[in-house]
Order: sequence, then C-alpha cells, then structure tokens
Amino acid sequence: MGNVFSSIFGRLWGVNKEIRILILGLDGAGKTTILYKLQMGEVVKTKPTIGFNVETLTYKNISINMWDLGGQTSIRPYWRCYYANTAAVIFVVDSTDKERIEVAKKELHMMLKEDELTESALLVFANKQDQPGALTAAEVSKALGLVDLKDRSWSIVASSAIKGEGLTEGLDWLIDVIKEEQL
Amino acid sequence: MNRAELGLKFKPRKQFGHPAQLQVNGHKFLKRFIYFSLANLLIMSVSKLETRLRKLFNVPRKGETFEFREGLVSQYASERKDTIQRVIAAMTVGKDVSSLFPDILKNIATHDHEQKKLVYLYLMNYAKTNPELCILAVNTFVQDTEDPNPLVRALAIRTMGCIRVDKMTDYIEIPLKRTLKDDNPYVRKTAAICVAKFFDLNSRLCVEQGFLDELMDLLDDSNQMVVANSISALIEISKSTNSNFLKIDSKILKKLLMTLNECTEWGRISILTALADYNAQEVAEVQHIIDRVSPQLQHENPAVVLSAVKVIIKQLDKVEEDQKESLLKRLSSPLVSLLSTPPEIQYVALRNIRIVLEKYPVVLARELRVFFIKYNDPLYLKLEKIDILVRLADESNGLLLLAELREYALEIEPEVINKSVNAIGQLAMKIPKVSKKAIDVLYELFISRADSLIDQLVVVLQNLLRRYPTEYLTTIITIIGDLEFDTLNTSDAIASYVWIIGEYSSEIAHLEDRLTTLMSQFQDSDPAVQSALLTTIVKINLTKPTPVTQKLLQQILNEATKEVENADVRDKAYIYWRVLSTDDVQLQKKIIMTKLPVLESTIDHFPPLLLNELVNEISNLGSVYHKPASSFIKSIDGELINTQLQSKKLEELQQLAKTEIVNNTVKAENLLDFDDNDDSPQNSSAAVPSTGNVLDELNDLFSNFSAQTPQQQTGSSMINNAIKQTGPDQPQKKSSNEDLLDLF
Repeated sequence: MGNVFSSIFGRLWGVNKEIRILILGLDGAGKTTILYKLQMGEVVKTKPTIGFNVETLTYKNISINMWDLGGQTSIRPYWRCYYANTAAVIFVVDSTDKERIEVAKKELHMMLKEDELTESALLVFANKQDQPGALTAAEVSKALGLVDLKDRSWSIVASSAIKGEGLTEGLDWLIDVIKEEQL
Repeated sequence: MNRAELGLKFKPRKQFGHPAQLQVNGHKFLKRFIYFSLANLLIMSVSKLETRLRKLFNVPRKGETFEFREGLVSQYASERKDTIQRVIAAMTVGKDVSSLFPDILKNIATHDHEQKKLVYLYLMNYAKTNPELCILAVNTFVQDTEDPNPLVRALAIRTMGCIRVDKMTDYIEIPLKRTLKDDNPYVRKTAAICVAKFFDLNSRLCVEQGFLDELMDLLDDSNQMVVANSISALIEISKSTNSNFLKIDSKILKKLLMTLNECTEWGRISILTALADYNAQEVAEVQHIIDRVSPQLQHENPAVVLSAVKVIIKQLDKVEEDQKESLLKRLSSPLVSLLSTPPEIQYVALRNIRIVLEKYPVVLARELRVFFIKYNDPLYLKLEKIDILVRLADESNGLLLLAELREYALEIEPEVINKSVNAIGQLAMKIPKVSKKAIDVLYELFISRADSLIDQLVVVLQNLLRRYPTEYLTTIITIIGDLEFDTLNTSDAIASYVWIIGEYSSEIAHLEDRLTTLMSQFQDSDPAVQSALLTTIVKINLTKPTPVTQKLLQQILNEATKEVENADVRDKAYIYWRVLSTDDVQLQKKIIMTKLPVLESTIDHFPPLLLNELVNEISNLGSVYHKPASSFIKSIDGELINTQLQSKKLEELQQLAKTEIVNNTVKAENLLDFDDNDDSPQNSSAAVPSTGNVLDELNDLFSNFSAQTPQQQTGSSMINNAIKQTGPDQPQKKSSNEDLLDLF
C-alpha cells in the first residue's frame, strides 16, 4: 500500500521521473567515453559498443537516463527503436574526422526528421578538441548544416571527452532547455 | 559576440502578447490584439499543443500491445518493470508478444536483478523472431559477464548461450573465454555447458577458437560441479558429431573417479556415462574402476544406480571369466532394491533388468521371489514382471514359479491371464522337469475357467506339442477333443487348433464334422486360419482320406486358388495342387508330412548386435523402448543418425533373414512355373506378421522342395543386396532366423 501511495505522489510531483537522453553519433566519435566521463567522472577504456550502454545520473536534481547507442553502420538502423519518449539528443562528432563529417550530417538530418524526435532538443559535441587538426565548433556547425534547423532548440559545444572540457557546459544548457520545455 | 550569430545556438521564439500592452490600448484594439495573438499562438504552436494534448490524455490506440509499448518506454522505472512483468505473464500464457522485442530489449541494461532475469527470459524466448535485433543486447551481455556479482555473470553467459542466433557467435568468444576462467566455480560450470551450446550453433568456430581444449582443461578443475559439467558438455558434443572429443587418459580417469563421490546426482550420471565408454587398457584398471564405481550402486537415485550398473557391465567385458561371477554378485542387490521404488521407476528398472539378464542371466538367479507380482501393481508392471520371471526360471525354482503363475492365471485382467498361461507354456518348454506339472496346471485351468483363457491356451498347447510331440499328447488331445472351434475367438488360436487337428488327425473324434464346419467359414477367416486349414486338409487326405475329406480338399483348393485374395494362401494352394497332381505318393508324403523341428523355446531374446546396443542404452530412454536411441531420436540434420538398417525393427530383420534362407535353400529346379503376377515378395513379406503359420508351413515346404518363380528370384537378389549392406550383421541374423524357424 505504501508503495502505491509513494508512486502516486511521486508521479504527481514528478519525483522519480527520468529524463531520456540519447547519445548518438558515428562509430569512434567518443560517445561511450562521454557517457562514462559524465557518470563516473573518469575516462574508461572502451570497446566498440555492439548494442548500447545506459546509465542513470542525477544532475541538478534531475534523474537522467543516458543512452549511448553503438554507432557502427550495422547498428545505426536500430537507433530508431530508441527514439520514443526522448527529451534530448546529444550528437557527438569526431572533429578530426573530416572525411566522414558528411556521413555524420546525413545521419543527423535523417534522425531529426523522425516524428518521435520533433520535440527533442539537440546538443552537438564537437569532440576530440584536444587533438591537433580538429575543426572548431563553428566549422563543425557549418559542416553539419545546423543553421538550417528550425523549430528546435539546439546548441553546439566544443568538447574533449578525455580532458572533460565542454561536457558540463553542454549538459547545463541541455538541462535548462529540458526544464523549460518539460517541467 | 552573440552565439546565435556565430551559428552556435538557436531557440525558437515564443510569441506571447505582452500584458502591459493589453492594459494600455483601447477596447477595439484590445479585442483585435487578442484575436491576433490567439491566432498567432495557435499557428505557432498548434503542432506542439497537439502532441502535448495527446500525451496528456494518452488514449491507447491499439489495445494491449500499445499499452505494453507505452509502459516499456515509460519515464518511471517502476512502471517499466511492472510492464515487463505483465509482458512475461502474457508470454507464459502463450500470447505472442514478440513485437515488443526492441522495447523489452531496451530494458536489459539495469542493475535490478529481477528485471534483468525477466528480460533475459524474454530474450531467450523470442531471440529467433528478431535475429538482427539480438546484437543490440551484446554489449550488455559482455558487460554483465564482468559484473562483480557471480550470479549475474553466470546468468549473462547462460542467456547468451541460449540465444540461438548465428550473429551471436561472433561476439560470444570473448565473454565465454573469460567466464571459463572465472574465479567463481558457479560461473565456470555454467560456461562449460555454454560451450556445448555454442558448438551446436557453430561447431567450426567453436573448434577453431579452442574451446574444446579449454573444456578438457576444465576436467582438472578443483570444483566437482565444473568437472561434471565439462564432462556433460564433452559427451554432448561427441554424441552430436558421432566422434569422440572426450579423450580420457589415466590421469583424467583418476580425477574422475575421485570426483565421483563428491558430485550431485547429475554430475555422477555424467561421469558414469563417460566411464562406461572408457576403454580400459589393463585388467587392473578395470578392477579399479569397478571398485570405485561400486559404492554408487547404493545411491538413492535410481538413475545413478543404473548408470553404475552400466559402467560395471560394460567394463566387465574385459575381466576374466572366473572373476566375473563375484563382480556380478554386487549387481544383484542394487537391482533388487530398485523394485521398492514407485511403479513408474520400477517399470524402467524392470526394462533395464531385462537387458542385464540377457547379457548375464546369472545376476538375479536367486532373486526370483522379488519379482513376484504384488496385488496392487499396475498392469504394466505385472506383465513386465511375468516376462522376467520366466527368464529367471531354472530347475531349482521351477515348481515355485509354476505355483505362482497358476495364481496369476486366476487373476481378473485378461492381459495378465493370457501372459501367465503363455508363461506357464514357456516354463514347461524351458524346464522339462516341471513340464508334466505344468501341463496338469494348464488342464486344471482349462477345467476351471476355460472361457477366459482358452484362446491363449490353445496357442500354448500347439507350442507344447512342438516341444514335446508325444509326451503329453493324451492330456492335450483331451482338451482339444472337447473343444468346438467356435468357442475360439482369436485367429491365432483357431490356426493353432487347426494345426493340432491336422497333425494329430488320428486322435481326433468327429474329424469330418469339424473340418466341414471350419470349411463352411473358410472365406470369412483370417489368412492365417485359411492357410492352416489348407495344410490340414491336405495332410488329412494323405493320412486318412475319406470321401468327405476328398470333397473338402477339392473345395478348398478351388476356393483358395480362385476366391481368396491373400497371395500367400493362394500360392500355397497352387503348390499343393501341383504336388498332389503328381502320381508320386511318396514324394507327396515327403513334402507334406514333414515333421517340424523341435521348438526349444518361445522366450524371445535380443539378437547379439541389438543386445550390445541396448547395454549401451542402460539407464537411457532406449532401454525402456528396447530400441537403440538412434531409432527414435533424430540428429541435428533431421535424419536418423544410424544406418537405416540398424534402426529397423527386429521383426523386419528376421523377415529379411528368413526370406534369404528360403531362397538359399531353393534349388534350381523349377517345378512350379506360374505366371502369377501377384506373387511379389514385398507382398508376401508384408503379410507375414499376421500369418506366422502360413510361413512356417511354407518354410517346411521350401526346405524340402524346390520352387522359384521369376518374381521371387528378383526378390531374392534384392534381399541379398540388402543383406550385403548389413555386412557383419549376417551371422546374427541367421541365428535369429533359426530361432524363428524353431518358433513355429
């Protein structure tokens, strides 16, 4: 009985409610590293993700379900299985990988066309800024054609998952947007 | 610098009218402004409103599945778990919830063990319906095999093995290798079984990645469960490929024998199965194995006991004859103790005991009483027990058994009565010393309750006459003499009755009347009866012809050749007719009046080859069916593992052998040259089981007489081919054929 009440009240006040955030991007962009950096604060050694990782983290009193989906070509078609009820998408781009930025752009725009994501905010991490020859955030933004996006809150942040730079900044922005839209 | 200008940020502006404006402006303007701003609001966020409203009311669109799907992607962990439980509940009652696969899959990564188990359960069930999506679970599986909790590690690797999807094989290597070397024995033993599953899915990959060697290494594990499971896995793999991957050397043997006593029941059974197939090099080793295995005979689980019995029996082959006796003695009390189990297990035990008895009849020689029927035994146990009792009978206990069987013949169930009457006959044939008493018992039974056992009795009497042609003739003829054939119901009994009249025609009163009555129903009779009657009338015409019998002879030959549909009966009639139309009465008598060979026993035995296979099947299902496993279990390819011939039923084998003998003894002389197309060998062999008597007569005929139609020749060559294929089986089949000939 107590359980029933706590779950009813929990629902009324939005306690226990989890925000779903997807981390997407091409393979090797650094999605898993970002996820665990955000969750544990340390850099873990990662293997290509066949499938997905999901971690729950509490940030500014909001409990967030962070979904890191594998970016390999064979798994990308299954991203769509995860779109439902998603508050925001974090799209991670390897800023040093100039050849595949076109592919990333295509994937990004295809994803944003999905019905289930019309409501979600978009945060792009121009990752791997610690490496030489990385494109700047503005260059990445241009290459991805972000300026063309209408009707959507979006932001791009230069980041380095290994050094932990830019991650909290990006997340702060995202949480603000989500709070405004959902709560 | 403004971030928006740089192209780094964008926020759709929400246009609401400013409240201050509303107050300042005039009425008209205000109204217009409200309209304007409302319209603006509507246009700008009509899509947002719509989705919000839809979310608010959240009306289920497509019933249960939709509801489930909503629940599975809920933002509340408790609701997701609750929905998973409901989905699993739907799954277990047989609803197809496979369409929820991706949504369930999303819930796999959780720290809630309960939820994890539920999701794993779902995955195992529906992996096959969504093979591509399964790889989405790989990451979680791999992570779970590194979980600090050994239960989670084992659960993950077990579930991974249970997902029978090809794509999984690419990813299972690393986690499987890791779990095989896990610190925790529970994880290792689970992983060991998983290797067998992997092998079944992709044997090439499994061998290439060296998993079989890893399993062999696990045999040296410190934990007994790991050893037992590795053994099971290796046995399973060996069986499925018909090769031997389980190479036991003396070191492993030692380890296995040591582990045996510490294992669970299942572990013991696996190890015992491995030991049964072990090919010991020297007698001392065999002795050691038997000594170590013997304690298992006292185990409370019957399956362990039977497995131990199997090991001992198989290893005994290598022991000297004089030692066998003492070792066999060890088996008797464990086998006997199996008879104090529940009826179903007793039945299995009895079926196994029967195999053991065939191999070593001495094992239970002193234990006759244990197998006596109890009043509350189920029918199937009673029948099985009678079978075993007859096999245990010898001179010392014959009388005791006879008295017991007599009691059984007074039971109520017809099956038990028939079986007991038959058993009394078998006993009388087996032990001449008690045969006199047995005949008396049969006579007594005939007097007291002829109606319930007369059919079986007549068949038994025929067999007894074949065994003791003259000794008990008076008693038997008294019974037959009093008998009207219409009191008999089964065609077997009638055929036996007819055979006895023909063989002992001089002793039978009212012979002509009886024959006339029988003849009047000739067309309606069973082929077995028709055939027996044909022979009998022909015989009587040679021994004591009268005008009546001659008339009957003419009638039966006429009807048999013209109106009978059965090819065997018709052919037989033709042959007789041809023989009778020669003038050589001596030849006729020689052919028709031949005495059959003495019938030694009607207790059936397994042919040696089958027996060897059945010994291998002890404690397995095959021992209950009395068939090798290959005859009823399909291999992975969906074909029977063994050659077609081995799996053939015994009768078929005997049939082949029988026909071969028939053809071998046929001489080249073609006396009978019919152009009868119906006489195909397939046809005749198909009819055989129901017409035993026809065939034995035919055999008599053929062994002294030579006849071969062209069709038979082709038939015989075909059968010869079949026999060539069997190769080493041949001697065995000949012997079984002789048994069969004796039988009639």
